[in-house]
Amino acid sequence: MNKSNARLGWLFASPYLIYSLIFFLFPLLWATYLAFTNWNLIAPDYEFVGIQNFIQAFFTDTVRAAFFVTYKFLAMFVPIVVAGALFLAVLIHSLPKFKGLFSVAFFLPYLASGVASAIVVNGILSYNSPFNIWLRGTFGLDINWLGSSLLAPLIIALMMAWKFAGYYALLFVAGLESIPKEIYEASAIDGAVGWKRFWHITLPMLYPSFYTVTILAVGLMFGIFTEPYVLTGGGPDLATHTWQLEIYSQAFERLNAGFGTAIAVINSVVTFGSILVFRKILEKWGAKHGWE
Amino acid sequence: MPNMVGNKPFKTTLLYILAFSVLIVMVSPYLYMVLGSLSPWDEVDRRIIPTELTLRSYEWLFFGGEGVLARPWLRALFNSLFVTLSSTVLMMATAILVGYSLAKLKFRGNRLINNVILFQMFYPAVILLIPLFLIIRYLGLYDTYWAMILPKAVNLWAIFMYTNFFRSLPDELLEAAKMDGASQLKIVWKVVLPMSKSITTIIFLFLFMERWVELLWDMLVVNSENMLTLNVLLAQMFGPYGGYPGPMYAASVLLTMPILVLFIIFSKNFKNGMQFVLK
Repeated sequence: MNKSNARLGWLFASPYLIYSLIFFLFPLLWATYLAFTNWNLIAPDYEFVGIQNFIQAFFTDTVRAAFFVTYKFLAMFVPIVVAGALFLAVLIHSLPKFKGLFSVAFFLPYLASGVASAIVVNGILSYNSPFNIWLRGTFGLDINWLGSSLLAPLIIALMMAWKFAGYYALLFVAGLESIPKEIYEASAIDGAVGWKRFWHITLPMLYPSFYTVTILAVGLMFGIFTEPYVLTGGGPDLATHTWQLEIYSQAFERLNAGFGTAIAVINSVVTFGSILVFRKILEKWGAKHGWE
Repeated sequence: MPNMVGNKPFKTTLLYILAFSVLIVMVSPYLYMVLGSLSPWDEVDRRIIPTELTLRSYEWLFFGGEGVLARPWLRALFNSLFVTLSSTVLMMATAILVGYSLAKLKFRGNRLINNVILFQMFYPAVILLIPLFLIIRYLGLYDTYWAMILPKAVNLWAIFMYTNFFRSLPDELLEAAKMDGASQLKIVWKVVLPMSKSITTIIFLFLFMERWVELLWDMLVVNSENMLTLNVLLAQMFGPYGGYPGPMYAASVLLTMPILVLFIIFSKNFKNGMQFVLK
């Protein structure tokens, strides 16, 4: 509480303060201004265009594609990753030994760079790969995986699920470990065993973990860039064209810095709104099961 | 428990077989990558288990061949290591100092800073992308290491984690060290850090991993081939070198191995540290 502590406090905090000034506050103000201009990154002069960028965004195909593609990703990714993570967590939790070893092993996919995993997936799905030859030979199925506007996003969703399931599983494991044993013992007397116990006791008790994992997974889908950028380039027919790809291509390929910033603002509002809706839905569901 | 009645050792064996199969599935993309990088070229993506192992893909990667010039892959590996290490060390150092000052040096304004940090953590970073790029350009840092390091020298999540952790350390201990005449910096170094080993390991791992796989930012602010990180070079070469999948796998191995090794070295502290991070 003394004076030297205060001086030292500010001194220790100063790297953060300087950083925030240059790399947060300043760009924040600049972005707010840029979003209302028609600047193209190069020209020396540009105009203030009011909300024109935001109106134009509504009528731009690629922006609309990014909007809908994200919900398509959500619908595919969230159920897959939640189910996968829950499965891994139950598996880890039920092992009498080597829990730590398997947690670490299931976490390994999280370390993969999206670029490297895109290269591997591209190889596994290439026309003459053992997998495709087997499909053609055994079932007569000739599938152009990355050329299909339904399968391409599904594959990216699966890649992301592979990467994140082991990570989210740790959240579920923490949830499983926090369920008191007495609840199981009491429920066993009432005849709740096996699947019945899992469905009626374990799952509702895991609500806090479900909540966290779902919100994390939803938020993640609004920020996908690397996988579609490397694997599909947003195609086919914009089927994997995410918000980040749209912002990148508007600002740095078509050089519409003003318009790109406006899209980033829209993306943030949409993300925030969507997460809010998901939270409300989850909280309603939780309240039904007695969670505050 | 009543439901556990039955053939218990049999059930346990089944569980381990299941867990082990799942483990194989989870790591199979890594195995596929390594095997692909060591396969003869006519077997890459054609056979899962190659008939023989060869280093041809690695040789091609580093020395080029048949009219194709070698790209600076080793330089890119160095760039990745240099940028990631510098950036991560800076993020750790600032997070420890700032976290300590917010948790233990109770000065006026520290509550405010705490709240601002929370606000910043939830503020969508994507809005800042374009102005950040412009700032780098105006500062004359475009195409330098600084462009990749400075904007990633402070990490809000790390500050937040350290602040919370340091709050849980008993004040008496720090007071005692102070009585002995230790300076605050020395207290941080000699008393606080040794008590924060597992959380430090975890924060370091997460920061390192995230920095290592960064693509968009490193792609934007750097242009000349000698400055590219491995991740960016690989992403750029993937298109033109599509006809050479073997070397692409070799480069992927180069990109993946450092982080896998680092993680496995530190995995001993993994579970302890995660328990705090996940709270």
